[in-house]
Amino acid sequence: MTLKKKARSRFVRFLGKQLREDRTTLQIYSRDMADLPSLVSIFFQNIPDGVILASSVKDIQTIYSVANETKTPITQRAAGTAGLGGSITYKKGLVIDTKGFEQHYLVNPLDQTVVVSPSYVFSDLQRKLKLEGFSLCSYPSSYHSATIGGWIAHGGHGIGSAQYGGVLEQIVEIEVVLPTGHLVKYTERDHISLFVGSHGTLGTITEVTLRVKFDIPLKHQGCTFDSPKELIQGLEEIVRIFPYSVWFLNPEHVALFNETFGYNLPIRYVAIISKEVNFEEEELEFSRLFNNAVRNAGGQILDRRYTEDIWQFRFKSFSMLKQCKDFVVSEVILPIEASDKYIRKLVSKFKGNIHLEGEVISPTHYALMMYLLYDEKLSSLKKTLLNLKLFNLTIGSKKVKGTPYSTGLWFSGYYGKIYGKDELRRYKEFKKSVDPKNISNPGKVLSPKLRFLPIVSLKFAVRLASRLIL
Amino acid sequence: MFMSSSTDWQVDVLEFAQKCIYCGYCSLCPTYKELKWETYHPRGILEQIKLYFTEGTKEEVKLDTSKSLFEAIFACTMCKMCENICLADIPLLKIWEQIRQESFKKGRWNPSMLSLYNKVKDTYNIYGLPSEDRLTWAKMSGLVMTRRTKKKAPLAYFIGCQAAYSGKMGQVAPSVVKILRKTKTNFTILGTDEWCCGSPVFLAGGYSVGKSFAKHNLDELKKLGVKRLVTACSGCYRTFKIVYPRVLGDSWDIEVLHISELANELIKAGKLKLKHKFKEKITFKDPCELVRHCELIEAPRDVINSIPNVRFEELPSNRNEALCCGGGGLLKLNDSELVGKVNSKLISEIEYSEADIVANGCPTCLDTIMTGVKNKGLDVEVIDIAELILRAMGDK
Repeated sequence: MTLKKKARSRFVRFLGKQLREDRTTLQIYSRDMADLPSLVSIFFQNIPDGVILASSVKDIQTIYSVANETKTPITQRAAGTAGLGGSITYKKGLVIDTKGFEQHYLVNPLDQTVVVSPSYVFSDLQRKLKLEGFSLCSYPSSYHSATIGGWIAHGGHGIGSAQYGGVLEQIVEIEVVLPTGHLVKYTERDHISLFVGSHGTLGTITEVTLRVKFDIPLKHQGCTFDSPKELIQGLEEIVRIFPYSVWFLNPEHVALFNETFGYNLPIRYVAIISKEVNFEEEELEFSRLFNNAVRNAGGQILDRRYTEDIWQFRFKSFSMLKQCKDFVVSEVILPIEASDKYIRKLVSKFKGNIHLEGEVISPTHYALMMYLLYDEKLSSLKKTLLNLKLFNLTIGSKKVKGTPYSTGLWFSGYYGKIYGKDELRRYKEFKKSVDPKNISNPGKVLSPKLRFLPIVSLKFAVRLASRLIL
Repeated sequence: MFMSSSTDWQVDVLEFAQKCIYCGYCSLCPTYKELKWETYHPRGILEQIKLYFTEGTKEEVKLDTSKSLFEAIFACTMCKMCENICLADIPLLKIWEQIRQESFKKGRWNPSMLSLYNKVKDTYNIYGLPSEDRLTWAKMSGLVMTRRTKKKAPLAYFIGCQAAYSGKMGQVAPSVVKILRKTKTNFTILGTDEWCCGSPVFLAGGYSVGKSFAKHNLDELKKLGVKRLVTACSGCYRTFKIVYPRVLGDSWDIEVLHISELANELIKAGKLKLKHKFKEKITFKDPCELVRHCELIEAPRDVINSIPNVRFEELPSNRNEALCCGGGGLLKLNDSELVGKVNSKLISEIEYSEADIVANGCPTCLDTIMTGVKNKGLDVEVIDIAELILRAMGDK
């Protein structure tokens, strides 16, 4: 326990049993989805001093008040289903578990919006919305576990983003407790965008108004391509027919998909396209446009039998990981145009070990999930090297302008690359005005300094390591 | 697979815990949703298992972990939602059972759990009441069971402790018996020789005591030449269907049926006719032990839909996604307040469905739903599916 005595007594006084400091709890809250090699954890302090289960706006205000007073770093955590280190502590302090937030939910059918608490898990919210004839516009592939608040803080894209955009496009209003303790509501896009992808560094989200849509049935079509070049041409053609979702796999991943789920898909690049269809004429039109798009790109149409129930496996990709002993995962956002070279490079670098799964997130970009799968348990050193290699490939390619999926801890320092320089400047100004003591999730978004060498930033160190070692 | 000893019964909990990919899908756990600390999250429990079982862990750390681990493991309702959604196919329920066993070995059961365990062990029922009282339900409902008790027959009706002893479940056993009599089905009951199926003992992690119960019930059934066993209790059903084959191996060759399955069979054979029309809207709550543990989904629906002009409506969460009532996994003994919290979500769904009758196939669900409905002041009748079938046959 390294929490200062004064700070501890203040937190205990105000939050009582909502604060836990036992070893087991701290250990559990010291990781997110990525099981980090022990070597990496030498450079930062991921085991917190305590965990607070916050349940209300008042709790968050109290936490900020005491944290400011005692200079205690706080790190917000929702479902902890991302693997970028955004919800683990960089320099100890307290983890604030926002899953404890009291849940409320109110649909406004006229505006087609829903007001929800950030602790709602997407699948729970979707179930409720469907009962009222509505549906989420877009949602993450970790739909069964990720929370609304977590997705916003992470800055996500996902299924449905091809048509409805990422999380930023879904938010109508956001309520936040700033590190100053003030409760504010923002409706302007300029303000909302600051909180998307900022990992709680600018405040803690306490309520969100999301745009929803009518629950229109989806029709699915599938196609296959022989090469990355054909695949990319295919994606360029397919986005023109305004799909709801475009999901694709590389041949290695298709083989694993077949093995895991008992399918018999052709071992080529396979893409599954979904579109909202209201009536039969629309469906016929979708089929016609889809067939033309695939043929123009030189692909083949997949038998409809394959695509009927394939949708349900959208949320089960990670179950393919059970087929291997160890794995390393990373995600990158790529422009559709000319990214076939990048895919080819990835495949040649990792020779058969790399499995790719992509989701188109806009008419021009897609998110590419990269899995490195191994039949043996990797040593800590090898895992670190693979992480660095993947890191280098994710952000180091100059020909293809790929960006990390989000910043978190591992890609801290890349905010400007993801959101643009102007946005970074605005972010820094806002951060300075609301959190001058840097207590709200330090070490994230902006690259922190190394623990043992405080003149070097984490971004620089990781980049240097990835270049030198490889 | 046949498990001849308690060692075979066990799985390598540490190996499986290490297989967790931390996707967090198991966050749909109904008790985690209420308690909210990640120490109660199934993936959090697996992390604790790693800490507890890894070789070389200091005793001090083990002790610290065990406190939180055992607390979390007894907050589980054994609803199997976590295992069903697990992307890594981890046999979570077997692991939870084993941790409960570990807790017993370390003397860390809470007194009410221990008391239940001793009651079952000493009196062969969960209430600690004399075996002679096992047929009180028949006397109370005016049924004479003398000629049916311990008589040779191909079918046995296993009543179960709750239907036999609990006043709240007073209508379950008479309903089943009346259905069997009216359809002229040749059946027998074990009477005072019926022992608890062992479900609470197995759920608590007691392998050897549970096995002795299984052996006794099998011997008694064999003596009567029983080939098929019917029960109206989903806990007994799961134990006979899943646990007994694991414990007794090939010697357990009795076909197990839930009353809804048997009724469905009788309807199809034209022996059971549902002629009474219901004005009320009916819904069905899938018991976890039927739907997720044993994949019994359609039989109760087929039966209800055989009622002429029935107004049947599914609950919003149904079939494999059915909500847990909160009463399973012996949670009532550990944290009755938590049972109420978990149950309130189900009650809200019942309210949303606007049903007049909630049918069910599990005495534990029946009990918790009745309490929830009463607490919320809903005008809903909660009955067992056997009772519903009997009413649909025209019996008042």
